[in-house]
Amino acid sequence: MKLSRRTPRADVPSMAMGDIAFNLLIFFVILARAQDDSHLQWDPAVAKEVEQAGAARVSLLLDDENKIYLNGQPIGMAQIAADVTDILGDTPSGERIVLLKVHKDVPALYFQPVIEAISEAGGDLVHILEEQHD
Amino acid sequence: MRIRNRRKKLLVEPPASATGDIAFNLIVFFLVCASVHPDSGRSQTLPRSDEVDAEEELENIEIQLSRNPNTVLMNGEPVRIMDLVARLKSKLATKTREEDRVVVIRSEPDTPYHHWIDITGLVEDTGGIITIQTEEEREVRIE
Repeated sequence: MKLSRRTPRADVPSMAMGDIAFNLLIFFVILARAQDDSHLQWDPAVAKEVEQAGAARVSLLLDDENKIYLNGQPIGMAQIAADVTDILGDTPSGERIVLLKVHKDVPALYFQPVIEAISEAGGDLVHILEEQHD
Repeated sequence: MRIRNRRKKLLVEPPASATGDIAFNLIVFFLVCASVHPDSGRSQTLPRSDEVDAEEELENIEIQLSRNPNTVLMNGEPVRIMDLVARLKSKLATKTREEDRVVVIRSEPDTPYHHWIDITGLVEDTGGIITIQTEEEREVRIE
């Protein structure tokens, strides 16, 4: 009598699919977080009237320790104009929005050169502020 | 002999394989909630200070800011913040051309950002056009 050999089945367990998706999602979230500036410490200044800033490719942030970040990455004062010019490229006027997020107590010694650099790069400056509630 | 007709109670448990999917959907929900909060603020157009004509620069209004939150210097004269809007309005009323409405903002190095935002907001509300002048750009005349 001849015995037939069983061929082993090697399926991916369907139970693990949810966990795989979950881990992939966490991986991409962490990757995205490293590129934005939501992890940085700053308190915005207040203003009576604010408007929606819209989508921007450039975000400059001065934190509570007077350190400068371009799209979440630390940058030196001297590099700002060149880097912002590179990122904005040939973007037409009106779409060259640069978000400026400055901690409310940062002195002019630090924020004025940043504003100048944005102006030099031809960016449309938008100060990110918090609306004042009475 | 009594025979009890007991109904078997069914144990209803969510399938363990679904917990991953539930967690996945929950995290997507919270991510979407977190990402819909947009940035808001105030746009500002800054003409470059070297574009301002040297002759016209003398006629521009100049506001000097310091750490003092109650007073600024307007063309060298101390002005209280509460009087600034009225003073600016009277000065800008006679100026019709856009280039004449330029207000030069000079800031002491220790001027805090929130004070700068307050004052530049007032200037823009009264129709002034902000330009900033830093230490390096100031002309020094030696006679």
